[in-house]
Amino acid sequence: MHRLLAVARAYSLSMLTYRTRTLVSLISVLVAVIPVYFVAGALQPLAAKAIASESTEYFTYLIVGSVASFVVAEAVSAIPSLISSYITSGTLEQLLTTPIRWPSLLGGLSAYGFGWVALRALVLLITAWVWATSTIAWPRMLEFTLIMALLAAAYLGVGLIAGALMLSIRSSLFIPQAVGTLSALLGTVYFPADVLPPAFVPFAALVPTTPALRAARQLLLRDQALSVVLPDIAKLLAWAVAGVLIGGLSFHLALVHARRAGTLTQY
Amino acid sequence: MSTAPRTAAAAAITMQGVTKSFRADRALWRRLRGAPGTEPRPVLDDVGLSVQRGEIFGLVGANGAGKTTLLKILSTVLLPDRGSVTVDGIDVVAHPAAVRTRLAVVPADERALFWRVSATENVRLFASLYGLRGADRDDAVERALDLVGLSHVGRQLVGSFSSGMRQRTLIARALVTRPPILILDEPTRSLDPVTARELRRFIRDVLCDQLGATIVLATHSTEEALQLCDRAALLVRGRVVATDTLSNLHAAAGGARVRVRVDAAHEARARVLLHLPKDVISAATEGLVTLEATLPDVAHAPIVLDALVRAGVRVTEFAPVPLSLAALLESVGAAAPIESLRHA
Repeated sequence: MHRLLAVARAYSLSMLTYRTRTLVSLISVLVAVIPVYFVAGALQPLAAKAIASESTEYFTYLIVGSVASFVVAEAVSAIPSLISSYITSGTLEQLLTTPIRWPSLLGGLSAYGFGWVALRALVLLITAWVWATSTIAWPRMLEFTLIMALLAAAYLGVGLIAGALMLSIRSSLFIPQAVGTLSALLGTVYFPADVLPPAFVPFAALVPTTPALRAARQLLLRDQALSVVLPDIAKLLAWAVAGVLIGGLSFHLALVHARRAGTLTQY
Repeated sequence: MSTAPRTAAAAAITMQGVTKSFRADRALWRRLRGAPGTEPRPVLDDVGLSVQRGEIFGLVGANGAGKTTLLKILSTVLLPDRGSVTVDGIDVVAHPAAVRTRLAVVPADERALFWRVSATENVRLFASLYGLRGADRDDAVERALDLVGLSHVGRQLVGSFSSGMRQRTLIARALVTRPPILILDEPTRSLDPVTARELRRFIRDVLCDQLGATIVLATHSTEEALQLCDRAALLVRGRVVATDTLSNLHAAAGGARVRVRVDAAHEARARVLLHLPKDVISAATEGLVTLEATLPDVAHAPIVLDALVRAGVRVTEFAPVPLSLAALLESVGAAAPIESLRHA
């Protein structure tokens, strides 16, 4: 664990030197809430019935969906992006000459990104809390955070597979982008599954974002009991275990292949 | 403590029959079509060598000779196709984790540093990765930076450093846990001559003599190899064509070359003493003639100079001519192994 923390510290210190970019990114989160607030207000009468089981207000429904989309985007794209840049600089190979194991290395390198997602999510939720007419059940934040962590783990498998491809063929084959888009379209990020064309509705159930958001919204926006959302958390847990196992195995095999093929660095 | 099985090894590093091939063109769709360039190309061919403890061992060769590939195999980030490699008696393929605790790598590329954090943080990271913690780690970081003369700028960002300082940061990073074996990949590649000379002195005096580290150094500079290495392997397109002490390799290249500038009036006498036939071209400017002669070895230089002076020859310059890599390759018959490689 201390190796993971050491990598996380070095990487975070490095990223924190981009002060202007960090500030602009945070401000852009706040600015982006403004159109969401007005558009959600305009659509509230239309959406109210369809979202009733998860939220009384379309604005907060969208905010929680946006938080999930931050998590998914980070989970699917952080690892391939880091691998690509560290292959180019030779840093990946250098770090692998030390006694660190790859899960600690990836964990350390990803920690800053997920921390940044958590901060942006918090800013988004606080803004929503200030603006929204409905309340946010802050005492449920721990369970909400756990659900978002499981959602990240579920999609981490995709990130690991994309990272494995990056190690092997220097391309993630647009898998992170495709999965991110499908997750947003089918995973009830912006609208409930009921409003999808009938042919697509069954697919919504196959996306980990769907149970994650249903559980997260019911806890945070409807203050439902944990027992109500346990079936969704169980589904999410299954996704997370499968994702981490399959992704982990793929990455391990890709690393062995890369050590054989000489693709850990770019000549 | 690692439980990897070790063989009782006098040598710090051994390699036997190491072979490695790469695909120059890795594009999947072209490989499936069997396009030219997608077939494996040999980079190392039956390489065997042994590095003794405490010596500086050079891997000398031109670009593309396979030096870096060999170092990557040693540092466990690349697997050989065939052959065996041991570090401190431990097999690098079977027990890479144990090998990684015994060696540290100084890469040729400065980009492998975290440029946007301080030198101290860069070294601290590696200290932590090698298992140091708390006060022990902080002391080790301070010692390593002090050793390379960077303790006064430890808090500055590496991105603000010169190439020489970055190279020293890489060395400090490698030295922080005092590994018994250091791997240096062209450490002076991006340095100016003065900084390069300083770094070579540091490698010889501090890393080798003071710390007693075993050093494997890849270089394409024969001058660097001559200054630093106790022994060297000459690599030509993936094959070791000679392994010996540098003085022996030098002798094999036809001995030591010296440049002698004498008064034009004394040219004939100088030619006789230097055993230079009349048809060897000399360069004359402003009453002085410059001659280049080959001596059996470096030890003969003072004897020859003394003979010239005693014979009344006015000598204004007497300097060694650096041995070129090309001359060294020619002298050891590098052509043969090149021919033996189909894709070379």
